[in-house]
Amino acid sequence: MDLLAQILINGILLGGLYAVMALGLALVWGVLNIVNLAHGAFIMLGGYLSWHLYTYLGIDPFLGLPITAVVMFGLGYCLQRGVLNLIVRAPMFNTLLITFGLEVVLTYLAQMAFSADFRTINPSYAGSNIALGPVVIPMARLMAFGVAVVLTVGMWLFLLHSRLGRAIRATAQNLVAARLYGVEPRHLYAMTFGIGIGLAGAAGGLYGTVSQIDPYIGATLTAKSFAIAIIGGLDNPLGVLVGGLVLGIIESLTVLYIGATFGDVASFGVLVLVLIVRPSGLLGKTA
Amino acid sequence: MKALVSILLVVAVAVLAAVPWFGSDVLVQFGINALLLAVLAQGWNIIGGYTGYASFGNSVFYGLGSYGVAIAMVQWELPFAVGMIFGVVLAVAFAFLLGLPVLRLKGHYFAIATLALAQVMIAIVSNIGIAGQNIGLVLPPLNNDPLFYELSLILLVAATATVFWLTRIRFGFGLIAIRENEEGAAVMGVNTTLYKVLAFALSGVFSALAGGIHAYWITFLDPASAFDISLNVKMIIMAVFGGPGTVLGPVLGAFVLSGVSEVLSSEVTSAAGLFFGLVVVVAVIFMPRGLADLMRRFRTSGWRYFAENLRAHRI
Amino acid sequence: MNAILEITPILEITNVTRRFAGLVAVNDVSFTLKQGEILGVIGPNGAGKTTLVSLISGTLPPTLGDIAFEGHSIVKLPAYQRARLGIGRTFQIMRPFPGLSVLDNVAVGALFGHGGGESELAKAREQAREQLRFVGLEKFSDQRADELGGPSRKRLELAKALAMQPKVLLCDEVMAGLNHVEIDEVIDVLKRVRERGISILVIEHVIKAIKSLSDRLLVLHHGEKIADGEPDTVLSNPQVVEAYLGRKRA
Repeated sequence: MDLLAQILINGILLGGLYAVMALGLALVWGVLNIVNLAHGAFIMLGGYLSWHLYTYLGIDPFLGLPITAVVMFGLGYCLQRGVLNLIVRAPMFNTLLITFGLEVVLTYLAQMAFSADFRTINPSYAGSNIALGPVVIPMARLMAFGVAVVLTVGMWLFLLHSRLGRAIRATAQNLVAARLYGVEPRHLYAMTFGIGIGLAGAAGGLYGTVSQIDPYIGATLTAKSFAIAIIGGLDNPLGVLVGGLVLGIIESLTVLYIGATFGDVASFGVLVLVLIVRPSGLLGKTA
Repeated sequence: MKALVSILLVVAVAVLAAVPWFGSDVLVQFGINALLLAVLAQGWNIIGGYTGYASFGNSVFYGLGSYGVAIAMVQWELPFAVGMIFGVVLAVAFAFLLGLPVLRLKGHYFAIATLALAQVMIAIVSNIGIAGQNIGLVLPPLNNDPLFYELSLILLVAATATVFWLTRIRFGFGLIAIRENEEGAAVMGVNTTLYKVLAFALSGVFSALAGGIHAYWITFLDPASAFDISLNVKMIIMAVFGGPGTVLGPVLGAFVLSGVSEVLSSEVTSAAGLFFGLVVVVAVIFMPRGLADLMRRFRTSGWRYFAENLRAHRI
Repeated sequence: MNAILEITPILEITNVTRRFAGLVAVNDVSFTLKQGEILGVIGPNGAGKTTLVSLISGTLPPTLGDIAFEGHSIVKLPAYQRARLGIGRTFQIMRPFPGLSVLDNVAVGALFGHGGGESELAKAREQAREQLRFVGLEKFSDQRADELGGPSRKRLELAKALAMQPKVLLCDEVMAGLNHVEIDEVIDVLKRVRERGISILVIEHVIKAIKSLSDRLLVLHHGEKIADGEPDTVLSNPQVVEAYLGRKRA
């Protein structure tokens, strides 16, 4: 029983992080109709950025998150404005391919710049735990979870209540709706993609505090983000949070009861099942 | 014009068939890879290019074909040909069992579901004893590259002939109708479910055969390499680069991109992947309908072709 | 009308209802389409007309009710089987196969339509050419379908459905957006279609166009049938006038 409680806690903490990973992907997919295969690579870049800030400048990874997010936002904005805006109206294959091309480029750049070694962000409190009866809560994971929840709820409030957020949501329904809000569509697209990548960067920083970073983690993280976005839906950040928690818990339980090699499979199995069982409930928003 | 194209094709195939007699070992090995990739791109073309379903699950067919050969030869000591048949049976079974539910999904959802299936397959195969679990299987070696080369070429010719035949029969017409407008096809009498599953299976047959040849040639396989998603991405890139939904485009795309990546990896070893990624990005922006379309239209519109593509898809 | 043909309805809709997430698009509608008849269905926007066509052609399943074709229930059959039985439809939002030539768009109908269609491509194209001639589009045969203008697309929709050799033709607003001359031409085409023995259900937003064409009129309002009968009788029905004409005139 204690073990189960511990596993559930681990799953929930992991799930919060997963939600932030998927948040940016869901936003870009839902609004721009671009499935960004390079999303995981941006998470990876964010992780490296955070690691460098911590290792060379001594900036605490949690305090450094805003810097990481802003830098990644800038990168995302420029990419959309300079490259992806050129193909937003192209067929689906092409948007998949171009983001795949970006994934390849980013992975190789990272490998050249950072080598293929594992990196972990290890602040002084990384090893400390909070004991709640028999259950142990790792400090770093708890903080990452807290930030994740704040980011998700913040995102939700932003989309619902800010002028830009409303313009973004309107654009998800209709590509030229941005003009009704007095926003230039090219700028709005770039802002949306920038926010998505900024969130990916923040997720990378958090990921680095609880797990290892290397140039090749991108593909798996993209796939997991997909799974979460599909389970949670594309139109509401709170749905993504639920999706992240569901996946985190399922993964933790799978590792415990079925075996460690099945951890990643669980996410994809759930994804396929959700798609097959409820395609009608999940279709329509973007199809 | 048609006669000229046919003659050129026959000459091209004859020259390709003669490569093992005058080419170096390295060239033959490069050729086997390029030919098998072309088969994969052509196989993907049936479900992706003609039917319009962006399958990321074709690497599963490839993996099943590889394991079909490996299991038959290693565990049951059967001949290679039986292994190939076994692999095809596995692939067709997969296409029917999982194609039925998954092909109901549209657009990105289909792409992602097939992507996830490929991941699940890796884990399942890693836990099957007869498939060597996650350690893999070692096949009996056969040092005869020219044989593998000619087999791959025959397979490519067969795949391309099949696609050509598809463009001439009712079935192929139905697939194109599904790609262009699935609901419209259904109300005009196209059995869309059956056609999609058949297209998925047919594309799986060629991918499985390619996987079988590759497994016997390489003599070793493990789950991660047999079901490698990036292989699937490669076939899509090659098909789309060449021209999806055309008979020769995917083959052309596979040859050109295999050549480019070979030259890059020998000239600028460390940055080969980087350039490959950039080539893909630039190609998608400037020639979104592939080489086949470029060659058709460049003659009439010249350099404006690129500008027109840009204007059509940007905001 | 030939009295004997009227005995068995070719299409019989019984208590059909279709709901979409709380909204009732078609509510408990029943009617019949007789052999060789032209039945006009009118109603304001949002009355459920297009939904009705989708329910009959099988692209949408009904929530409740039954649809019978030549006396047999088809409500469980998928769309393609209904097409093979002889139900052809056009789309209000014109949906050609955009990348195919106009000729090949129509050839799809000949290849797959009523009875399973023609198996040879060359023969199917020959039949397609005939249909294009029939609707007056033969000069556009080799153009891509998405390069056609609006009025021509309406005709293409008709040619595609006719190439299926249907027994029933469901026309979803084939006259909307056309000028008077074009409307008269389409009416002429539909009359000639009827002479081939094809029963027709015509859905139309504009009443004038449909009145002269239809043997009988059916009025839908908020998903419900509010009138069904002789065109003149129906159009003078006070309920119809209030629901539809009254608002139009106001």
